[in-house]
Amino acid sequence: MDIYLVEALLNGLLLGGVLALLALGLNLIFGVIDVVWIAYAELVMCGMYVVYWLLALAALIAILSVAVLGLLVHQLIIAPILGSPAINQLLATGGLLFFLQSFATLLFGTDFRNIGLRLPILEFADMNVSFARLIAFGVAVLGAGALYGFLSKSFLGTAIRAIGQDREIVGLMGVDQRRIYLVTSAIGGALAGLAACLLVLQYDVHPFIGLSFGPITFMICVLGGLGNMLGGFVAAFIMSEIISVGGFYFSQEIGEVLAFVVFIALIFVRPQGIFGRS
Amino acid sequence: MQTRRSVLKLATAGVAASPLLSVPSLVRAQEKPIRIGVLYDLSGPFAAAGSLPCAIGAQIAIDLANEHGGVLGKYKVEPVKADSQSKADVAINEAERLIDQENVDIILGIYSSAHAVPLAAKLEARKKILWITTAIASSVFKGKDLHYVFRAQIHSDQYGEAGASFLAEHAKAKLGVDPKDLKVAVIYEDGPYGTGVAEADVAQCKARGIDQIVLREGYSASTPDLSSLVTKLRRARADVILHTGYNPDITLFLRQSREAGLRFKMLIGNGAGYSQIDKLRDTFGADIDNFCNVDPVPAQLLDPKSLAPAMGDLIKIMVDRYKAQTGAKEVPPHTSMGFNQTWLLLEKVLPIAISKYGGTDPEAVRKAALDVDIAPGGTIQGYGVKFFPPGTPMSGQNERSTPVVMQYVKDGTKVVWPTPIRTADPVLPLPASSPYAVT
Repeated sequence: MDIYLVEALLNGLLLGGVLALLALGLNLIFGVIDVVWIAYAELVMCGMYVVYWLLALAALIAILSVAVLGLLVHQLIIAPILGSPAINQLLATGGLLFFLQSFATLLFGTDFRNIGLRLPILEFADMNVSFARLIAFGVAVLGAGALYGFLSKSFLGTAIRAIGQDREIVGLMGVDQRRIYLVTSAIGGALAGLAACLLVLQYDVHPFIGLSFGPITFMICVLGGLGNMLGGFVAAFIMSEIISVGGFYFSQEIGEVLAFVVFIALIFVRPQGIFGRS
Repeated sequence: MQTRRSVLKLATAGVAASPLLSVPSLVRAQEKPIRIGVLYDLSGPFAAAGSLPCAIGAQIAIDLANEHGGVLGKYKVEPVKADSQSKADVAINEAERLIDQENVDIILGIYSSAHAVPLAAKLEARKKILWITTAIASSVFKGKDLHYVFRAQIHSDQYGEAGASFLAEHAKAKLGVDPKDLKVAVIYEDGPYGTGVAEADVAQCKARGIDQIVLREGYSASTPDLSSLVTKLRRARADVILHTGYNPDITLFLRQSREAGLRFKMLIGNGAGYSQIDKLRDTFGADIDNFCNVDPVPAQLLDPKSLAPAMGDLIKIMVDRYKAQTGAKEVPPHTSMGFNQTWLLLEKVLPIAISKYGGTDPEAVRKAALDVDIAPGGTIQGYGVKFFPPGTPMSGQNERSTPVVMQYVKDGTKVVWPTPIRTADPVLPLPASSPYAVT
């Protein structure tokens, strides 16, 4: 087998890890609160700035601070419009996207920044693998496993899943919806913070980094079935492999075009997404 | 009460004064400042990829003109600033606002070629002046027969010419291979800027006998991953990579290349992100030592003695003020572009427009621009200025603009091509100390 094709497949797998991690939080929030946080990648950007400025305790503080940011977003923006039409909710989170981009520009300027941390590179079989990407992949898999464990084994997780299944009836069972929404927003924010810690090892931080990840993350969530975490996880790897292997055989641009073609074709066949419920 | 005689006197006085009233634009210019729209990307990814240094350079030139009383020492310049936010649709909307609501006749600036192409068509149709300081795609002008759009800056075809000439000149002596055996990869962001330069890279390489273009591939500047491109470059084993990009795609490419173990003998960037040397050094430190970059020369790298009198003083003012404003250690070429083209408009074109053609309306400015004839050495960036006239294939483009090839060395930047004006002998191939060097 062509060693370079193996490298392309591996690259796709590692990229899939990054995208899967991003899709986890967005899917969780949609599945439970039923609101698309179109500004989710901008929360990741905020987390990356926290890591950049507070390197020593960065990871913990970034995760906590973006979790708090998630709470604030829910309380200040989402909660007042929970009963509004979906388009209003979309516009509100879209407004948040522009606000966060502009606010970051105002605070940090338009410069590209990086933490200057260099992780080792693994070499084997004439291939080089980025340690930073390997860590991101590992954490994404572990994060998905931990989230699955939390949602299926803990009482809080069960309540979250119950709300995802039927938000009307669950209140009658004694579950405090407001509290669950807050917890979900905080977990979604924390996952964005975790993603930020891993992305900052691979990418420069700038106010518009969200533009690179936002659209594809949203696409992955839709492909997997909005709100379906397993679907999002699988879809992340499908998309990343198409981009990577398509890019290898054809060109970088064609790889991305192919990913969109597959996305459109699958959505025609299964409008609810690969794992979504009809 | 006015008598018939007094009314006749007033009427006679009015007729006598009419010659003065027949030059309204000049009278208005004396009463009001010259308002010029200044349109750059002050936010979004293009801001840090060179647009902001351009805007600062342009403002320094405007400040300098106003400190000396303005154009011709008496017409102050009032910039009306707008932010195109790194988005073509915003650039078009802002240009329309500047024309319709701010009533400007001249728009100066434009960093991105993706903005310049539609803006050139729009301002040409509106018969307003578009004075491009930075965007370089040849396609802005080629075959369009523009009358109201001008660019003294170099154009994308010239990037290919500089890079290919530099390689052809040094392939045998420095790299030990004939140009025909040199393996070159051309990678580029897929907007008008990258595509235009890449086309020129390929055409100019082939024209000089560098036939082995082992990979030619574009990508979106906002892509989150370039690893498959890097893998293909590893497989193609290119000796030289010609790269045209903005940022952060350049930093993403260099980072993923290093991680994937991509090796090459030389990398030649083509302006934009590669000209933001301070930013690249912050990210990569000494890793980018000995990389080359094609762009119009940053004025401070030229020997003032080779330029017209007073150019040296202008360069010093520009450099001092830019460093004071930004705290930067290096002044990027974009600052020179913004300053030079603005200075040219204010000091060379508008004086002719006012004194010879009676004002600063688009027709007067257009005629004045075509009259400008500056010999090489007459601007801070070394090149002369003479615009191709209407009816020629590149109508509105400066026919005397020239780029240079620069090389990043430990203590700054050196000019390594054209050979007659170089300030250092180029280092080729990359030395073993580089993490990208072929070992």
